[in-house]
Amino acid sequence: MKAHFGPAQSGAYSLSRLTSKHKQAEKVVLEMQDPTTGVKLQPQRLVITTIPHAITGEDIVQICLFYSEARSFGSMLVALGYIYPIQDHKRLVVKPDASLYRFQTPYFWPTQQWPVEDTDYAIYLAKRNIRKKGILELHEQEQYNHLHKWMNHKWDFIVMQAKEQYRAAKERKKPDRVVFDCQERAYWVVHRPPFFSTHLLDVLLITYSGSSMIFTQQSIMRPRVKSSVSIGALVKYCATYKGHDPFLSKCLPSNPWLTDDVTYWALNMPNVEIPTKMRVERWTFSFGELLSDPRGRDDFRLFLKKEFSGENLAFWEGCEDLKWGTAATMKEKAEQIYKTFLARGAPRWINIDGKTMEITVKGLKHPHRYVLDAAQTHIYMLMKKVNNPEFSTFNSYLVPVSFPLPIHHPSDSQLEQNARNRRPSLSPIIIRQQEQEQKAKMAASAPVDITQLCRFTTPVPHLAVYSGMTDPPSANASPSLPFLAHTPACPSPISVALDSTSASERRAEASEGESEGNPEARASAGGNVSKSRMALSLRRLLKRGCTPSSMFASLSPKCNPAAGTSSRIQPISPDEPSQAPPRRIGNFFQIKVDIPPECRIYPIESEDEDEENRAVSRERVGTKEIICPWESLTPQNGTG
Amino acid sequence: MSRWHRSVDELAARRRQHECERAQDALSRVTSCFQQLVALVGSSADGSFLRDELDETRAVAHRICSGLSCRLLRSLSNSDFAPSGVQDRQVLERLWVLFLSALEHFLYDLRKACDLIGQFPLTEHSNRRSLVNTGCVDGVVGVAARVASVQLPWLTSEVEPSPDLTNHITGLETMMSEMQQRVPVAFWSVEATQPAWAEARGEPDDLVESLEDLMEVEVIAGSKKTACCGLGCVG
Repeated sequence: MKAHFGPAQSGAYSLSRLTSKHKQAEKVVLEMQDPTTGVKLQPQRLVITTIPHAITGEDIVQICLFYSEARSFGSMLVALGYIYPIQDHKRLVVKPDASLYRFQTPYFWPTQQWPVEDTDYAIYLAKRNIRKKGILELHEQEQYNHLHKWMNHKWDFIVMQAKEQYRAAKERKKPDRVVFDCQERAYWVVHRPPFFSTHLLDVLLITYSGSSMIFTQQSIMRPRVKSSVSIGALVKYCATYKGHDPFLSKCLPSNPWLTDDVTYWALNMPNVEIPTKMRVERWTFSFGELLSDPRGRDDFRLFLKKEFSGENLAFWEGCEDLKWGTAATMKEKAEQIYKTFLARGAPRWINIDGKTMEITVKGLKHPHRYVLDAAQTHIYMLMKKVNNPEFSTFNSYLVPVSFPLPIHHPSDSQLEQNARNRRPSLSPIIIRQQEQEQKAKMAASAPVDITQLCRFTTPVPHLAVYSGMTDPPSANASPSLPFLAHTPACPSPISVALDSTSASERRAEASEGESEGNPEARASAGGNVSKSRMALSLRRLLKRGCTPSSMFASLSPKCNPAAGTSSRIQPISPDEPSQAPPRRIGNFFQIKVDIPPECRIYPIESEDEDEENRAVSRERVGTKEIICPWESLTPQNGTG
Repeated sequence: MSRWHRSVDELAARRRQHECERAQDALSRVTSCFQQLVALVGSSADGSFLRDELDETRAVAHRICSGLSCRLLRSLSNSDFAPSGVQDRQVLERLWVLFLSALEHFLYDLRKACDLIGQFPLTEHSNRRSLVNTGCVDGVVGVAARVASVQLPWLTSEVEPSPDLTNHITGLETMMSEMQQRVPVAFWSVEATQPAWAEARGEPDDLVESLEDLMEVEVIAGSKKTACCGLGCVG
C-alpha cells in the first residue's frame, strides 16, 4: 500500500550514525527544558497574540557549548529538526543573534522508528493547497503532481483527510494553531527540503563522510537493465527449458528417483554412444550448452577435426585447464599453450587478431590464471559464430539419436524389485582415474606436439598408488581394450579412427555393432575391417565364461567412441577373453579392493535378474539404434 | 415479484453504501482530531486531561473501525450475489481502499502515540520538567468536542470495551491483514473521483487565513530588536 518514491535511503552505516546523533540530540533537548539549568525562554510577540517558549539564536549557541563541545551542535539540532527557526524557516541554521527559534514537539521529532510517509506529505500538500488556494511553491507543485499520480488510488482519502485536519486545527485556539502550523511546516522543510533532490540529512552525511561518496558514485555507475528486457529473457528461458526440466515435465522413461529404474541415467551418461533426442535438442539451445555437455563437446570435437579447425577447441580447452587447474603447473601450462597455439609457426596455430595476440603475449610474460582470457573469448566467439551453426546443421540431419522411450509406469512389485536392485554407482575416484586415462589416450593419439600437454593431464602419482597401478599409464599406441558401455541396454560401440572415416560412416559402424545380424550394414561399412568388429555385450562375454578378472577388465574403462583416438581398438573377440594385457588386469584387480564385496557393479547384477526386461528394453533401444543414415531417420517403431 | 425484491436489495445496498461513506468521513474526522492530540504529547501542554482525551478518541475510532470493517467485508463478500452490478462493486472497492488507507494512516499515529507515551510518562511530577516547551498551552477542548460530535448508527448500539493502546495497535494490524487476505481488491484499479488541485477551489465559505497572516509581527518603527516580519518569509 505504501508507494515510496523520492529521497533514496541512506546506506546502513549512515543510518546507524543518524540514530546515535538522534539519541544525543534528544538527550540534550530534554535537558535544555530544565527550568533552572535549561535555555532561556522568551515570548514571541505577534500582532494577534503572544506565543511563549521562543529562544534566540545566541542562547542556543551558548547553551550548546555548555552541553556539547562542538560549536556546530546547535546547527545539528536545527538541521535534524529538533529546533526550528521561526523566521527564515527554510534555512536550517543557527544564527548567533536575536533571531528566534522554538523547540519542535516530540510528535514531529525525526526518529528511525517512524519513517517519513509520503501519504502524510500528500495530506500536508493538499492542506496547503486548500489554504493557499493553489499557490504552492515550485517544488511543492512538482511533488503534488507526482504524488497525485502515484497515490491516485487513495487520493480521495488524502483530500478528505486534509480537509478534516484543516477543520480540526481550526478548533484550536489561535496561538496554538500558529504553533502547530509552524511545527508542521518545519517538519516538512527538514524531510522534504525544497532545494535538494535527496534528503537533506543524506546530503549532510555524504559531505561529512567521504566513503559514502564512493558508494554513491558506484551506485550511479551500476549497469541497469529494463525490467521488460530481463523479464522477457526469463520468459524465454523458461519456455526453452521447460521440457527439459525433470520437475516440470516427465522424465522418460521414468524418473529414477521415483521408480529406481536407472534407464534414464544410463541413457544420459556423459560418454554414451547414442545421445538421446532431448540431449541433442539441448545442444541447440546455445553454444555453451553444447560445450558443457561432454558428449556434445566430443561430437563437436569430431566435427571440427573433420573441418580441420580442431585447434580452436583444443586451445579453448587448454585455456579452461589453465583457469581451473592447479596453481603449481600453471606456468608450464601457459608456456605449453603458447608454444602449441600462439607462437609464430606453432604446430596448431590459432587465428586471432593482432591486438588480442599482442595483449596475450604481453600478459604471458607474467602469466596468471586468466592471462589467456582475451584470446579464449575470441576463439569462443569464433567457434560460436562460425563452427557452431555449421555443426548444428550437420548434427540435425546426419547424426542419429535415440528417441525417448515411452513413459514407464512400473507396478508395485516392479518398484520393489527396482528398489532391491539399487546399487551405488562407480566411485568418484575410479571415474577420475578413467578420465585421466582417457585424456592420456587422447593426448597420445593426437599429433606429436600435443603429447607435451599430456604430462599434466595424466593421473597424479598418489592415485596410482591407491589403485595399485604398477606402471604409469603411458600413451599406448593401441590399447587393446574394448570400450563397453555400462548398460547392456546400450551395447558397446566401437571406437574408430576419425581421420579416415566420415562421421556417418562411423555411426554406421557403431550402429552396425549392435545389429549383429545385419549383414547389410556390416557390408557397407567398408573401410578397415579391423575397426568393424562385432560389439559384445557383457552378457555374451560372461556367457563365454570369462574370468572375473577379465570381466572387470572389460568393465573398467568408459566407453568413449568420440575420444578422438586414432588407435585401432581391438575388442575382445568372443573366443579370446584373455587378450586383456595382464598389467591392465592387475590394475583393475586392485580397483576391486575399493568396491565392497557385496556391491557388484550394475551391469553384472542385471544379468541375474530381470533378464527378460533387460532384453526387451535393450531390444527396444537397439532397434532404434539401427538407424542407418542412408535409409531413414525415423525409428523403426513409433515409440518415443 | 422478483423485480420488487431486486429493488429492495438495491435500496439496501445503497443504504449500506451511504452508511459506509458516512463512517469513512467520521473516521477521517476522528483520526485528524487524534493527530492534533498526539502532537501535544511530550510538550508543555501535556497532561492527564490530554491523555484521557487521547483514550476517548481512540475508543471512538476503534468503534468506527470495527463497524466499518464488518460492513465492508459483508458487502464485498456478498456482492457476488447481489445484482448490483459492476458500478456498485467499484464504489465498494473504492471505499475499501480508502478505509484501508485511513487505517494505515491511523496506525502510524497510534504507533507514534505509543512511543511518545512511553518516552514521556507522566507518572511523577518530576517528569514534567522534561516536557518540551513548544509554545502550546491550550487544552484541547475544541478538538475533544469535535470528536464527540461524531454520530454513527452503530456507535451507541455496538458498544464493546475499547482496548488499551498496544492491543489496539495489534488489533488493527490483524484487522488490516485479515481484510486484505479475505477480499482481493486491486488497489490500482481505484481512481480518484476528483481531479488534482480540486480542493484548492473548494470551501468558499471558509475564511482562510494563511500562516503568514497569522504570523504577522507588529512592526515597531525604529526598533532593531524586532525580528523581520512574517510576510518576508513566503511559504
